Amino acid sequence: MEQATVNETQPSPEGGNGEAIRLEGVTKRFGDFTAVDAIDLSIPRGEFFSLLGPSGCGKTTTLRMLAGFEVPSEGRILLEGEPVEDVPPYRRNVNMVFQSYALFGHLDVADNVAFGLKRRKVPKDEIGRRVDEALELVSLGSRAKSRPSELSGGQRQRVALARALVNRPAVLLLDEPLGALDLKLRRQMQVELKQIQREVGITFVYVTHDQEEALSMSDRIAVMSDGRIAQCGAPEEVYEHPNEEFVAGFIGISNMIEGVVEGPGSVKIGTGKRIQAPVPADCDAGDTVQLSVRPEKIAIDEEIEAGMIEMTGRVVSRIYHGVNTQITVELGQGAHLVALEQATYTASADDRWEEGMEVRVGWHPENCLVLR
Amino acid sequence: MPGVAGDVSSKGFWSRFLLPGGVWLLLLFVVPICLVLALSFGYTDDLGRAVYSFGLENYQDAFDPLYIPVLLRSIGFAVATAAFCLLLGYPIAYYIARYGGRRKHILIALLVIPFFVNYLVRTYAWVALLADEGLVNSALKDLGLTETGIQFVNTPYAVVGGLVYGYLVFMILPIYASLERMDGSLIEAGKDLFGTPSRVFMHVTLPQTKQGILAGCVLVFLPAVGDFVSAQLLGGPDTYMVGNLIQDQFFAASNWPFGSALTVVMMLFLSIWMLGYLRSAAREARDPVAAGGV
Repeated sequence: MEQATVNETQPSPEGGNGEAIRLEGVTKRFGDFTAVDAIDLSIPRGEFFSLLGPSGCGKTTTLRMLAGFEVPSEGRILLEGEPVEDVPPYRRNVNMVFQSYALFGHLDVADNVAFGLKRRKVPKDEIGRRVDEALELVSLGSRAKSRPSELSGGQRQRVALARALVNRPAVLLLDEPLGALDLKLRRQMQVELKQIQREVGITFVYVTHDQEEALSMSDRIAVMSDGRIAQCGAPEEVYEHPNEEFVAGFIGISNMIEGVVEGPGSVKIGTGKRIQAPVPADCDAGDTVQLSVRPEKIAIDEEIEAGMIEMTGRVVSRIYHGVNTQITVELGQGAHLVALEQATYTASADDRWEEGMEVRVGWHPENCLVLR
Repeated sequence: MPGVAGDVSSKGFWSRFLLPGGVWLLLLFVVPICLVLALSFGYTDDLGRAVYSFGLENYQDAFDPLYIPVLLRSIGFAVATAAFCLLLGYPIAYYIARYGGRRKHILIALLVIPFFVNYLVRTYAWVALLADEGLVNSALKDLGLTETGIQFVNTPYAVVGGLVYGYLVFMILPIYASLERMDGSLIEAGKDLFGTPSRVFMHVTLPQTKQGILAGCVLVFLPAVGDFVSAQLLGGPDTYMVGNLIQDQFFAASNWPFGSALTVVMMLFLSIWMLGYLRSAAREARDPVAAGGV
């Protein structure tokens, strides 16, 4: 009889000392297609780390390599310092929460949660105790004897989480775990997941295509595109200082205005206007760049302050969102700007600008990013 | 209450098309069975003709201890057949369902095509292969592996072998279907939760495909109990099965009433098994998610 031997590691309660995961030049090819292209990554213990990107960017393949379901074509994967590329999933001290939950329909909730502990030959009374604890953690203590088919989507999600966490893995892998839930429940689970992660102190690697989800839950985010990591950093960093056009466009809405570098600190845009902007040192005159300004950084008419770059345009659309209103302004020559206007305590956002109105728009030069 | 089958008028529409099939079944299926049932209470006169009556003698004869070995042998052969079909068929179904890829449908077709050839004809082919002077024995002699040849025919092994060959596909298809329905991430979840491949098979795959296994066993066991072809062609006096006993009443012994009584007993016996299976299947149908992943 084969035996799954796994060394259990207790998560350090203070978290954060040492490295949970390290990827070195990890590449995964399927035939001619390169799904993951030589990525390097280091995730410290106790971190809530997100892999964010559109479908097909390689985030799920990366997660599956961490779980052991895919073997990297090249590169090394270190789990708590030990290389694991050739270790099968059942000998890795990681557990996964599947997108489809993958609960065992022939077992009740308690037996689903106990599955991993039983395979590891944990003593029976300890299994009972840990299963109870795990179900309490996800507030499902009363449903231990239910079949998964009798539970709601949100409850199934919790069972899947408890089934993975009960094993106290070194790293918990989550593959778009909230994707099947409706918006309200998803928001609620985001908060809960984050709380649970703080409580248990286990390293979470969270795969999602939802940028809002990643921004609100993560300690750090790796934005992936075409099999590589475009940018890796804290949520504020990737949002405020995207290092390339893809990141700026993928995270949040961003205005992109094409222009040509005229000289240090000056870019000429399509309308012919010269704009003062923080041109990076490695850009030469004549380079084509994208100017990126977040919609919430754009001021309209009386909001414009001294020192702002100003332009005029015409309102072409206005979309009311309740808490704010999205206004699209045409600057001429095909250049558009999207501005988000907050509803404030003095004004509701929809009563100020009408379609067709001539408006002045402006932004502070430091709120503009120059991306190549 | 609006049903999925449609409204009242479409129910009437479809009822009309039920008529030809209904009449066909009534005349050619229900009536003959009633004749068999009626005949089972009759007797054979001195000239060997079947006469309808109301006697229970045939049923008394059917439960004669003389036939108990025949019945037990039939059940034994059928159980062995179902067991071998399961052991042979599960890996085949598993391979095709999990690793068949684009060739899945071709592989299934290759399995089914031999079964377009009549069972009797295929069993004759086995006789030609396994006879004392058959192809297998002459090959073995030519290779010098045996001097006298090995006796295959007239043994229980040949009869069960013929039955396995005859019914294997009925085991493979339902198991294949249940494996196809199963969510592959369940197997990954099993491995992720420290299950070695053999443990995952025992604790996840097998329970998840229980309905397919059960259906396959019923589809193999029931016809195998009543089979007479394999025992007649590949067996001898020691492999005599219930099917052969019934067949002989109609042809060799010309005792149709007794043959009919045996048939009725047999049908009732098999119906009990069938009902058991249907009840279990209905239980799963009420709770469909219990059979699959969530």
